[in-house]
Amino acid sequence: MAPVPAPVTAPVPVPAPVLAIEGLDKRFGGIVVADGIDLTLTAGRIVGLIGPNGAGKTSLFNLISGVFPPDAGTIRLDGQRLDGLAMHRRAGLGLARTWQNLRLFPSLSVLDNLMMGPRSYPGERLLRLALDPGGVRRQEDETRRRARAVLERTRLAGVAGTRAADLTFGQQKLVGVARALMNDARCLLLDEPMAGVEGQAYEIMQAVVREVAASGVAVCVVEHNVAFIRDLCDEGVFMFAGRVLARGPVGTLIADPRLTELYFGT
Amino acid sequence: MDYLLTLAILIGLSVALASSFNLIIGYAGLISIAHPVFYAIGAYVSALLARDHGVPVPLAMLCGALTAAVASAAVALPSLRVSGDYLLIASIGFQLGVLEAIKNVSVTGGAGGLTNIPPFLIHEAGRGAYAALVLGFAALTVWLNRAIAHGPYGRALSAMRDDELAFAGLGRDAVAMKVAVFAFGSGVAGLAGALYAHYFRFVTPEQFEILQSAALLTMVVVGGVRTTWGPVLGAVLLQALPQAITFLDLPSALLGPLQGLLFTGLVLVFMFWRPQGLIPAGDAWRASRREEA
Repeated sequence: MAPVPAPVTAPVPVPAPVLAIEGLDKRFGGIVVADGIDLTLTAGRIVGLIGPNGAGKTSLFNLISGVFPPDAGTIRLDGQRLDGLAMHRRAGLGLARTWQNLRLFPSLSVLDNLMMGPRSYPGERLLRLALDPGGVRRQEDETRRRARAVLERTRLAGVAGTRAADLTFGQQKLVGVARALMNDARCLLLDEPMAGVEGQAYEIMQAVVREVAASGVAVCVVEHNVAFIRDLCDEGVFMFAGRVLARGPVGTLIADPRLTELYFGT
Repeated sequence: MDYLLTLAILIGLSVALASSFNLIIGYAGLISIAHPVFYAIGAYVSALLARDHGVPVPLAMLCGALTAAVASAAVALPSLRVSGDYLLIASIGFQLGVLEAIKNVSVTGGAGGLTNIPPFLIHEAGRGAYAALVLGFAALTVWLNRAIAHGPYGRALSAMRDDELAFAGLGRDAVAMKVAVFAFGSGVAGLAGALYAHYFRFVTPEQFEILQSAALLTMVVVGGVRTTWGPVLGAVLLQALPQAITFLDLPSALLGPLQGLLFTGLVLVFMFWRPQGLIPAGDAWRASRREEA
């Protein structure tokens, strides 16, 4: 009997992932924070990471950004391996992140916090400062212009000269995001950007994240504010005990009684 | 007059040392007290190159400074990769080790010291010219440190001190910056050591012991850590006060201990009365006016 020919279907274009994680494992003694995680992020899409405390969401961000190395697995940004690189090199390739506990530079003004954010900062090399002061100055001027534009976008222009430590908590969260935007990143990781944020800052945060994704950046958000995740994200990823349990539309995930039970416990 | 010029030279060297030390422990937040050993390396390398190998003194001085910078980078690089605390341990070990080596190696003159170091500039142009050279070097050091601390590099140092993890997360290489600033400050100390050696023409290892580390630390802390003028004030004060006491016409049995007590007394007084030093540093990093323009 002649073999049945395979049905001919038009190939569906699959966008190449900006960030591709395969088989990521990490344990601290007996505590497993990542257990065979596979995850891809694509340009222009916002993915929300949801799950109960201790699910491994922030640990995943720490693994991606290089706070600690994985025990096994690979992380690729635009096809380039990140997992063996130091943290600063990963940022230099276009990976930006914010921190759950802010981690702003309290002694610097808001503008100077942003000035520290670009991938290239010529002012960190003494020799370059000595040999090419004009070039450094020009790049500083350019960075300052960009920083002021980002502050306009995030409605922080009015506090540009204020010390970061003197801002309200909501404003500090926005500064964290604004500083990450200075990287011109290919992939942006936002760790609980809405925790403690309300009022106008909430609206601004949503608008800014949408705008960033629309410009072609792959965005991943860890957030406990389910309404924010549902309103903002194109899809959700549910994590539990260091594993990815499900991926799909946020509404579907939060309606799944099995996941709800894991999230809230019984 | 010679006495006053020599005092001016000592003050100038102390200003350069305190200012460069402030860059390391103050602005960069690197915990090390081994600054005098790089002062020693500069002094010995320059003196030996000029005396035993016929290298012209200015070139020998630059070699001394460069050797101090390279040696400091070699100490800092492995220790800073582990943690900042290890720099303190590694630098103290390095200071003790180098001084022991100097004391026990014949080429350095051993514990008795190195003599017959070729002079520089004094015979041709006089002590005044040498004092002007040293004071010019001190002024240049203060100006450079100020330019570094209040320019883009200083902004980065301030950010690194505030939060090293966030600093690295933005793409900044904290280890490279720490090593560079440590090497720069130590290179300045090396050049100061070379200037010392070719003026006094005699150096001994005991001049660079831990006691000297304590004196330098006192200058920076009493003057005002992380400020431009604090270490300058501290250096002038702590170099001039012991000399001023000698004019009190006290018996020498009392004079020595009194000079020693001065450092301890000042540290205690400042600890309770003005812990931030004579010139307090603000909480916020400030760009120089030129940078802000």
